[in-house]
Amino acid sequence: MTSPDDLEARLLALGESIDVPSPPPDDVARAVRARLRSQLAPAASAPDSGTPDPEAPAAPGSPVPESPVPEAPAVPGSPVPETRTPEAPAVPGGPRVLRRAWETLRDGGRVRRRAVVAAVAILTALLLGATPAGRAAVAEILRFAGVELRIGGPGPLPSGVPQPLPGERRVTLEQAREQVAFPVSVPAALGDPAEVRVSDGGRVVSLFWPGVRLDEYDGSLHLVFRKELGPPWPEDAGVGAVKAQWIPAHHGLTYLPRSGGRAEVRPRPAGPTLIWQRGRVGLRLEGVGELGRAQEIARSVR
Amino acid sequence: MESLPTFAKEPPTDDDEAITRSLAGDLDAYEVLVARYSVLAHRTAAMLGAADEAEDVVQEAFVKAYRHLASFRRDAHFRPWLLRIVANETHNLTRSRGRRDRLTVRLTEVVPPPGEGPEEAAVATDLRARLLDAVRTLPERERESVVCRYFLQLSEAETAQVLDLPVGTVKSRTSRGLARLREEVARDLT
Repeated sequence: MTSPDDLEARLLALGESIDVPSPPPDDVARAVRARLRSQLAPAASAPDSGTPDPEAPAAPGSPVPESPVPEAPAVPGSPVPETRTPEAPAVPGGPRVLRRAWETLRDGGRVRRRAVVAAVAILTALLLGATPAGRAAVAEILRFAGVELRIGGPGPLPSGVPQPLPGERRVTLEQAREQVAFPVSVPAALGDPAEVRVSDGGRVVSLFWPGVRLDEYDGSLHLVFRKELGPPWPEDAGVGAVKAQWIPAHHGLTYLPRSGGRAEVRPRPAGPTLIWQRGRVGLRLEGVGELGRAQEIARSVR
Repeated sequence: MESLPTFAKEPPTDDDEAITRSLAGDLDAYEVLVARYSVLAHRTAAMLGAADEAEDVVQEAFVKAYRHLASFRRDAHFRPWLLRIVANETHNLTRSRGRRDRLTVRLTEVVPPPGEGPEEAAVATDLRARLLDAVRTLPERERESVVCRYFLQLSEAETAQVLDLPVGTVKSRTSRGLARLREEVARDLT
């Protein structure tokens, strides 16, 4: 029933579907270089001034020990230093690329590095949890800012018309601020919301703009939403200095009412979402398809 | 510092040139080589059991490769030579942890082809997960050969070099592994 060729073809296809996250090649190259440098030129090449020179990594024509970049740790097992530029080619193009990478580093490119670390962390968790059954199943549960992320085998997306949240009412922004026990904030980048709703006795405030929804809730104590997702995996992002989770793909979203599981709202499909926490307020921004823009909006929350 | 040779600004175009320049101390050229093989090296380390330490294994392997670059035979291919170092580093790690190495990977979602629904995709994903389980439970020696041959798509000769085995041994271990998988798959389907 299974011919040899068939099995071999299936193994090849299986191999191709196996996803091994690896850090951006340029990061690895720089990390290896840092290790080599620390071993090849120990202590001897201490910088003559304590001031880091931002241009140092971009200095052309100095292939061997530049003054050690303070940022680059050579400690084995430490995360890959520095960052990748999204548009950087797989093969470094010399000083220009390095300079670009350096600029990205200064411009908060660390977010990317964290994303890599997160991918690896999730992988590890999957490995420990997924075998021996290894079937499509929840392999990892992350709880963050009042949201439970169930990461695992991709189930089919829920279908149907989204139900409103329990007790959802249309209000003005001012009314919303009076009715809930946490500060309601508005992202300046989006301007005044087209619509404001309060749900579940003031537990959730939802702000709407065309195609975009921002839910705010007390995210410090209880789970308010559950998301079920498969690959692509959520990424550690950041909103300023605050941790955030970026869910790039469509996924299933369930509201978990205050009353407990009894009146659980039917899951609905949700678009790309950024989740973060501001004080005790959890926020989920849905409908912005691009992480950079989502972060920009999130940073503008006042 | 003026005694340092100056190098062309263009990145080296092939392995041979990159190796020549690396041997002359050109770390830029070695970076190109590292970047070129980084993904494959991570894949190899992860699939041979380095798990969450794959990054460290890979970086260490590249450091060792640089140090031993002079011993690399220039008429050979860099890829299997490097992967053998990665495999060795992985083995050292799994041995030092006293842990059995595991095949530690995850599957990506099957994208349903046009005309097929999510159910078919789910079935396909499930079938693959079962096959992966079967590979996971192979005896280590057979599993390594199967992983190299099919998951890393190395030739028999490359596999032999990476695992430091005679080609004949790779052949026999692979075919024993395939036979075992065939039994598993057949059992699964009946």
